[in-house]
Amino acid sequence: MGIGTTSHGAMRLKSLLENPYLNFLLRLVIGIVFIVASIDKIADPNAFAVSINNYKLVSPGFAMFSATVLPWVELLCGLGLVMGVLYRGSALLSLLMLVVFTVAILIALSRGLDISCGCFTQDPTVGKIGWVKIGENLLLVFGSLYLVLSNKVSSFLSIFRKTR
Amino acid sequence: MKNLQPALRESILILTVSLVLGFLSTGVSGKGFFAPPPDTAQRNAPQFISLDEARLLHQSESAMFVDGRHAYDFGLGHIKDAINIPLSEFEVAAVLLGSIPKDKTLVTYCDGAECNSSIELAVKLDSLGFSNVRIFFGGWKEWESAQLPTEP
Repeated sequence: MGIGTTSHGAMRLKSLLENPYLNFLLRLVIGIVFIVASIDKIADPNAFAVSINNYKLVSPGFAMFSATVLPWVELLCGLGLVMGVLYRGSALLSLLMLVVFTVAILIALSRGLDISCGCFTQDPTVGKIGWVKIGENLLLVFGSLYLVLSNKVSSFLSIFRKTR
Repeated sequence: MKNLQPALRESILILTVSLVLGFLSTGVSGKGFFAPPPDTAQRNAPQFISLDEARLLHQSESAMFVDGRHAYDFGLGHIKDAINIPLSEFEVAAVLLGSIPKDKTLVTYCDGAECNSSIELAVKLDSLGFSNVRIFFGGWKEWESAQLPTEP
């Protein structure tokens, strides 16, 4: 009975991972989040470097390097997820970025730092870090983990073709 | 795990393109690493001061202390004669500074080493044209533990 239950669970997990609608929905949500998050950072990399520096985890030089490259990684991953182009790489990088961001916020919270997240806007008075932000990030981490494990690769339009 | 290799290959491609786009865009717009150095000759950029320097400025009554904490914390206790400009309400509260000469020495502070409000406040005051802004980074905690003048 144990084996039967296990194989039944494994089949359900397999069918969940191959569900094209869930896959498409998560790609759309996580992709749009990354695209929106990248816009302010690309427009003002200096302000984003200040936001990274506020976490006091990396040197100012590395903060500036991250502020130069990271917003473009976010934008390309976001577009990749939404369009289904370079989908596997986009999902893997999204997962890695979200894990790093979440750990950085956790470390800042444990040190008692009163700083803004720097996630969507670089305004220092908006989006202070907190447990709500950790919760939001964890949801996105689970979503992107699903995308990494999911075998379903479909382009932007193929999801609509399948429904016909 | 059979997907890991193509995922890694695609990741490297995305990272490489991002690296190129990042440096190209900042190079063209003159931001990030390509930003011109700040003009320190004309502006007196905000500087950090120690507890002793803050105490001397307070004793001389030549400086105005600006508390960047929330109004609630300010109400519980603050450096004597300080004014409260919470960072989150800067635009509104900055009207308090309208009558103050731009060359007046302003000393910003917040809770202490765990907060950045004193630095962000100093940058905002500097951008308003105040030329003598100082940051007392030790803040309220250091001042209070040294038993220097407070109110209420």
